[in-house]
Order: sequence, then structure tokens, then C-alpha cells
Amino acid sequence: MRAMARWIRADLRASTARALVVAGVVAAVVTALLLSAGLLQGATNPWQGLFTATKGAQIWLHLAPGTSVRDLGSRVSGIEAVAGPYQATAATVVQSGARSRVELRAMPALPLIGRPLVIAGRWLTASSPSGVVLEATFAQAIHAGDGDVLALDNVDETRHVRVRVIGIAETSDQGFYPDQTPGLIWVPPGLLHQIEPIVGHTEEVVGLRIADPDAAAFIVQQVVTQLGNSAVGTVSTWQQVKQSMARRDPLLGLLLALFGLMALGAAVLAIVNVTAGRVLLQSTDLGMLKTLGFTPIQVLAMLTAEHALLAGAGILAGLAAARLLTPVLLDGVPGVSAASAALPSGWAVLIIGGTFAAVLLATAAPALQAGLVRPVAAVRAVPPRGHLSKLARMAMAARMPPAVVLGTRAAFVRKLSALLTIGGLAIPMLMITIGLGFWSTIDDVQRNPADIGLAASVTVGPGPLTMAQAGRLISTDPQVQAAYSCVRADALALGDTTTITTLGMGTSARPYPFHVVQGQLYRAPEEAVATQALLAALQLNIGQFVRVWIGGVPVTFHIVGRIIDPQYGGEVLAYGRDTLADEGAPAPIGFYSLVLKPGVTPAAAAARLVRVSGGRLEAAVVQDPADQLGIVDVALACLIGVLALIGLTSLLTASLLSQRDHQRDLSVLRAMGMTPLQVRFALMMRTTVLALVAVAAGVALGSAVSTTLISSVSKAYGLGAGIGRPPAIGTLAAAVVLAIGSAALASMLPARPSAPLSTVAILGPGP
Amino acid sequence: MSGNEGTLLLRARSLTKTFAGDGVVVHAVREADLSLRPGEFVAVIGPSGSGKSTLLHMLGGLEKPTRGEIWLQGQRVDGLSQARWAMLRRRHIGFVFQFFNLVSNMTVADNVELAALMGGASRKQATARRRELLGELGLGAKADTAPARLSGGEQQRVALARAMANRPALLLADEPTGNLDSGSSAAVLGLLARAHADGQAILLVTHDLRMASAADRVISLFDGMIVDDAPMTIPHRPMLLPDVLKLRG
Repeated sequence: MRAMARWIRADLRASTARALVVAGVVAAVVTALLLSAGLLQGATNPWQGLFTATKGAQIWLHLAPGTSVRDLGSRVSGIEAVAGPYQATAATVVQSGARSRVELRAMPALPLIGRPLVIAGRWLTASSPSGVVLEATFAQAIHAGDGDVLALDNVDETRHVRVRVIGIAETSDQGFYPDQTPGLIWVPPGLLHQIEPIVGHTEEVVGLRIADPDAAAFIVQQVVTQLGNSAVGTVSTWQQVKQSMARRDPLLGLLLALFGLMALGAAVLAIVNVTAGRVLLQSTDLGMLKTLGFTPIQVLAMLTAEHALLAGAGILAGLAAARLLTPVLLDGVPGVSAASAALPSGWAVLIIGGTFAAVLLATAAPALQAGLVRPVAAVRAVPPRGHLSKLARMAMAARMPPAVVLGTRAAFVRKLSALLTIGGLAIPMLMITIGLGFWSTIDDVQRNPADIGLAASVTVGPGPLTMAQAGRLISTDPQVQAAYSCVRADALALGDTTTITTLGMGTSARPYPFHVVQGQLYRAPEEAVATQALLAALQLNIGQFVRVWIGGVPVTFHIVGRIIDPQYGGEVLAYGRDTLADEGAPAPIGFYSLVLKPGVTPAAAAARLVRVSGGRLEAAVVQDPADQLGIVDVALACLIGVLALIGLTSLLTASLLSQRDHQRDLSVLRAMGMTPLQVRFALMMRTTVLALVAVAAGVALGSAVSTTLISSVSKAYGLGAGIGRPPAIGTLAAAVVLAIGSAALASMLPARPSAPLSTVAILGPGP
Repeated sequence: MSGNEGTLLLRARSLTKTFAGDGVVVHAVREADLSLRPGEFVAVIGPSGSGKSTLLHMLGGLEKPTRGEIWLQGQRVDGLSQARWAMLRRRHIGFVFQFFNLVSNMTVADNVELAALMGGASRKQATARRRELLGELGLGAKADTAPARLSGGEQQRVALARAMANRPALLLADEPTGNLDSGSSAAVLGLLARAHADGQAILLVTHDLRMASAADRVISLFDGMIVDDAPMTIPHRPMLLPDVLKLRG
């Protein structure tokens, strides 16, 4: 034990740099995994983190005014705590002509249960009676921030009150705006009475925190029985909120999932490479320890203990780095906050445990080998003998430079080691290729939003005008290239209680320019196109018919194509709006989707339309998911950098090992008359040949799978296949040249110390 | 076990090692019989490739014999596992190699103390033993130096100190001067002689006849077979440095 401790201490002291590399890689991996898992969690399941941070309630009820909820907790078993009741009322925010429906909720002090999480500004205070706090996603949608002034109308539009935003808060009470409407604004009780003095126009909002979340539906039933049917307005459960939040942004989710996959692959590889390489480099010393009396188990235990120490240090550093970096990174990702990206403890344990296990496994395999190899092999440290292959002899006969032939041959003397080196470089190269494909996909989405269904960048509601009047105003606007009359109608699929979003977009004669990735666009009434997520939800294929109920009228659609549209949670059924008239279904008030002329900014066009119409048109800019991709771009660049470093580490390790194996050979070569330059060239060839094979394999495989992989992850996220793009040829070529060049350089680095070694010293009489 | 093996420190019977690879079978050691009494100094000589090192490695448990028996201090050891051999080496066998093979990541002091710690010494005892040994070998000032910074002769002296850290009954030396200049060789031989004088048994593999002449007995190996096993003509008495120098001269 003492001897083991002594060796570990000496080893850590003697090769501090290599030990730091192991700990550093572990730290980087833990940081990357925690950050990407956090981002993934924030993008795909933000509810969990928000619920924990806000100590949320699982059930929210809107009750008739005056309903008594006293003792509700004791009347219905399973309720742990009751939040509220809070008085609430519907109102409208009027902002530069746009009207948004909101719920005002009176909440004087921050409660313990269902406690909104203030992320900007401050909570309501008595000192600012006209101060309000906006729910974060709603604030973002209406571009309101701390300090802005908003105009609030009551339902009857009889009262207009100007309020000041003093804070922005997150909540797990309801889904994100605009997937879930109305928007939520917390106000002081006095302000609520000022806006809506009629008690009959208010509601009581109550949150229930329950012991068994799975029993939510059962408890709702009991509560409704207790309070009476007429007293209960609406009910929402945590499952609904969670689902609503989860579908918010499939594109970002998809990108982050890919990012996570790549980080995971790179992580395992990096750990195995660095740890195993470190142990392999020590094999001579380990053999010597065995001659001194170390047993194989002791060698294994010692190396495992040493690397467990390094892994432990790396994990601690990784945890600290993730904690420091999370707020910085999340600042750049709209809609993902620290609370929503908080990892459930199980995930963190899994990441830490997995990393630790990877280090131990990566240590154990070579350590076991080192423990089992007869010590004499290490004492001799002679590389395995090999013959010149027929090919090598032919190459020599053909007067190929001997340095090239011998270097190439040396690369494959240790077959397993050569394979490991090729794998160690080919896998990062494969992932870099996929990463580049991913990059060009993002680039494509940013340049051509129409490819993901976002041809129109502005939508315009007619407001008090008729659709025809609005249409005339829009058609005279010089900034608009095309306007499509659209309608959004909720529909119920037959035999299914799920509500789906259907869009009448343009007409069958002049359909909205969706990006059709499969099949064709609707050209006749009753023809429709759908997104992958909708097809999956309704278990439909292109060519099939589906019957839905719109406003109580059955409408049958023939699905003729698949489109990509990240809006409405990715579940969209679109058709010509003339279909609704043909079928006699009621058409809700529509809106116009505007395709702008090139060079026109959506915000400017929207502002101009509102101005021209005297504030009557309700123009809104379509949120482009690609706007959020900037951070992914940066993260991807970092990841590619890390992958490149991993590849380089692998090459350096191979080079060092090879150097140790062939030191004697190289001196022989020099003694035989090869110039130092030729010897150096042979060394370079040895690593470069392996790098060439690895890079070719990695790029070939990466190019083959990149588009398919992006598309299949995209499919899993409901966007459907079709957005994947192959990596740009120029970037890929640059990556290949860089990889091979680095390989050549890496082989030169360890080659230097061998040059001054005395040939005689190395060639002393053998054992 | 015969009574004879009880009084012997080491005995090998029909020890054979065959290497098979690349379709060629190499008989490195064939049917070797040898014995070593406690405190005896035996040299094994023979040309390059005659199987000297392989024989030594088998006797120290670094290489498994293809056939034959090895008895150490009355116990049969040829069938022991690697782990049991390792434990045996800790206390009873010291190794010295041609290329020193010091643990490169440890200082000179650590290399010597590690062996003592392996043998069960406490930290204090290990430090004391290291001081004593390095002091005797004139390396006290180099305790904190990395092995790579020492000359070949110094490295071999450290290797000797390491091998003797636990006062093993048997010291196996594989061409310990093969890589040294004449001055260093003389110093190493002097150290071996001193160990011998202290009652340590030594099995020295060398192809240097002058080195071998310092031994009590010389075993000659040729093509893996023991062709001669004869005591030196000089009567057995404790070997001293002046004797060695006289012999070398």
C-alpha cells in the first residue's frame, strides 16, 4: 500500500503535464456534457427545471368568483398545499396597434408554492402601485422589458390603464406564450380592481401541490366534485403544461440533441484515448515494478487508484466550470433560462458516474494488460519483429525513397496499435464531418428560412377591418412581394380527443409556398399537406385520407405532401382555405402571411403597415427559429475544436508509443547510412500514413451518414427529414488538409529528442 | 524433496525454454541443471544468444519455463502464479539488468525506497536503508535526482542499491557491466564482491570472462545447454576489491 502510494505520488510528480491532460479532458467532458444536457433539458423539457425552481403546483384551477377553497387541502386527500386563491381577470395589452389577450393575476407577495421566479427587475411592491411583472415568454413575444410602459384595456374596453413593467418572471403554472394564451401578468390587487372593478368579470385562481403527481386527474375529479361543476372554469394539470412547453422549439431541440450526441461520442473517445495512452506509455516502468515484486493485481489497483484520483479532480473541476459557464452560455440562448436548464439530479449523477466509469474502464484494460504481460517483455522493450512485405520489397525495388517505404511499413508493425490510432483519429474526423454537415444545415436554414417553411416573415391580422379591406391595404404596400390570405382553425381528429392546428394557407389555385420535401403541394380543394410530427401523431402516410372536425363540420383531407414547418410545435395540417368554404365549415377570421421583397426587414415592414393603416392592422413578425442558432454555431465551433484536439492527442500518443518502440530501429537505419533528414522523414511518414487512412475513413463515413443522421434526428423531433445538408466541400477539404498537416507536425515533435541520442548507447549488446 | 535441496538456496532441474514464433522453434535453454548454495557467487558465461539471460529470467520468475523444476529455499516455485513470484521477489530476490531499468518517473531515492517498502519496511526504515545504501555507494548527494540525469555507472549503482534494499538472499545480475566503461565496471564488480562478502548469493550472467573470474564457480552455456560447471581454481574465500583488480589486471 505504501509502495503503491509512493509510486502514484512519484508518477504524478514526474509526468504532471500528462496527468493534467487526463484531468483536463475529464473536466472538459464533464463540463460539455453537463452544459449540453442542460441546454437539451432547457430546450426539450424546460418544465422540470422550472417546476423545481418555482416549487410549482401540479394542478391549476380557475374558479368562479367567491368560490370558497378553505380547507380544500383537508377535504381532498393527496393535496399537500394550496397556492392562492388569487384574483384574476382577462384584459388586453395594446402595444403599437397590436392587441394581445392577457390574464392579470393579483399576487401581492411572492408565495411559497407556485412562486414566480424573477429573472429581471424585481417583484411587485407596495411602493409602485402601477408596477406589473410580466411572464418571461410573453414579455419576449411582445418585446417588452423592465421599465417599459404598457397600455391595458379591460374586457369591455371601458377602462384604459397605463402600467409600468417592473419585473420579468418565469413560472411553471402555464405553458409558454404564444403556444399557451393568454399571456400572464402579475399585478398588485389594487391595480386589478382599478382595471376591472366588476367582480363578476374576475376569477379565483388556485394552485394545488399534490403528493402523488400521477394522481393529478383523480384529484381534479375529487376537487370538482367538492367545489361543484359550475364553480370550476378551467383546469390544467402539470402533464399538459409539460407537454405544451416541450413542443416549443423543435428545431433548437434537434440541434442540441445532435450536439449532445456528438459530445457524448467525443467524450468517451477522449477519455479512452488519453487514459489508455497514458498507461501504455508507462508499460516499461510497470514491467520493472513487477520485477521488484508488484503483483498483477497491485499494478491494476495502483493504476486504477491513480486514474480515479485524476478523474475525481477532473470531475470536480468540470462541475465548477459548468456552474460558472451555464449562466454565460444561457444568456445567448433565447428562451432557455438557468431554471429551465437545471438538470434533474439523476442526470448529473449519470454523467458523473458514467465519466468516472469510462476513466476506470479505459484504465483497466491497458492496466490489466500491463499487469499480465511477463515483466521480462517490458524489461526488454523490443518491438515485435516483422518482415518487409512483398509490397514494401517491390516499392524498394522500384526505387521508392527508402524513408517512405520504411516509414510506411513501421506504421503497421504493431497492428493493434495502428488500428487504435486509426480509430482514435477516424472517429473525431467522422464527427467533425458530421459537425460540418450540421453547420452547413444551420447555414442553409439561416440563409433560406423558406426551406423550413418560413417563407413569410410577417403576419397581419385585419383588426377592426375586414379581410378584403386589409387585403387592399397590403396589396398597395411596395415592400410586400406576395400576400396569402390564411386562416387558422383548430380541428379534432376523428376518434381522437387531441386538438390539432390546421391552417388554410392561400388557396388551392394559389397555395402558400410551403417547402415540400415529399409529395406535392395542395392544388385542389380537400388536398392538404402535413408536417412529419402531425403525420406521426395521427399515424398517417402521404396518399391517405384523414377526416377531422372543424367547428363541428366533418372535413376530409387527402394528404398529398409533407412539409417542414417548425411553428405550432411542428404539428401542422395545411390546405387551401377554399376547402373550408367548399365543405361548409365555419372559417374563423383570418390573417395574411406576407412574403417580403428581398432586402426588406420584417420589423420595418410590420411597423410600416401598422402606420399606414392608422394602427388598425395587427402586424407581427414571424419568429425565425434560425435567429436562435447563433449560439449553436459557436458551440459547434468549440466542439469541432475539442474534437480536433482529441484527434491530435491520439496522434501524439501514437507517436510517443511508436517512438519508444522504434528507437533502436531508427538508430540502425542511421547506422546503415540514412541521413538524419531521411530518418526524420521516415518518422513523419509513419504517423502521416496512419493519419491518411484515418482521415479518409472518417470523412467517407461522416459524409455518408451526416445527412441521414441530421434528417433522422430531425424526424424524431417532428420536423421531418429533409433539412440535412452535406458539409461544404471547401470546409471539408480545409479540415482534411489541417488534419494531415497536424499529423505530420505531431510526428515531428517527439522525433526531436531522438536525434542527439548516441547510436552506440542504443545499440549496446542485446540481452 | 530430496535432502540436498534443503541446504541449497536455488536449484534447477532440466530447465528448458522453447520459443515458438514465425514458424520457427528456438530452444533458448535446454535441460539445464544447476544449483546455488547460500552465499555462493556463480557466474554464467557464454556467447551472445546462448540463453544466459533467459536462464536468469526463468530463475527469477520473469519468464515461465517450458519444462523443468526450480526450487528456491527448499520450495518448488516453477509453477507459481505471477503474483506469488512477485511476492517472492520482494523479499528474496534482487535483480540488476544491463540497461539498469530504473523506474524513470521516480527519483533515485524513490527507486531505492520503493523496493524497501515493497519488502514490508516502514517509511522510516525505508528512508534509513536508502540513506545507508546510497551513502555507501557514494550517491547520497544524488538522492533527489531523476535517473535519466545520472551517468550509466551511477544508474547501475542505484540499480544495485535497489536490488539490495531488502537484503535478498539471492541477487540475479544480468550483464550488469555490459553497458559501462571500465571504471564503472570495476566499481560495480566491487559492489557485487562486497555483497558476496556480506553473505549474499549472486548469480551473474556475463560474457566477460574477467568478470566471471571473480566468481566462486563458473557455468558455461552454449546453444542453451550447460557445457561446463566448474569451481574457480582460487580457493573460496571472501572476495575483496584488491583481488578483483588483481584478477582483472
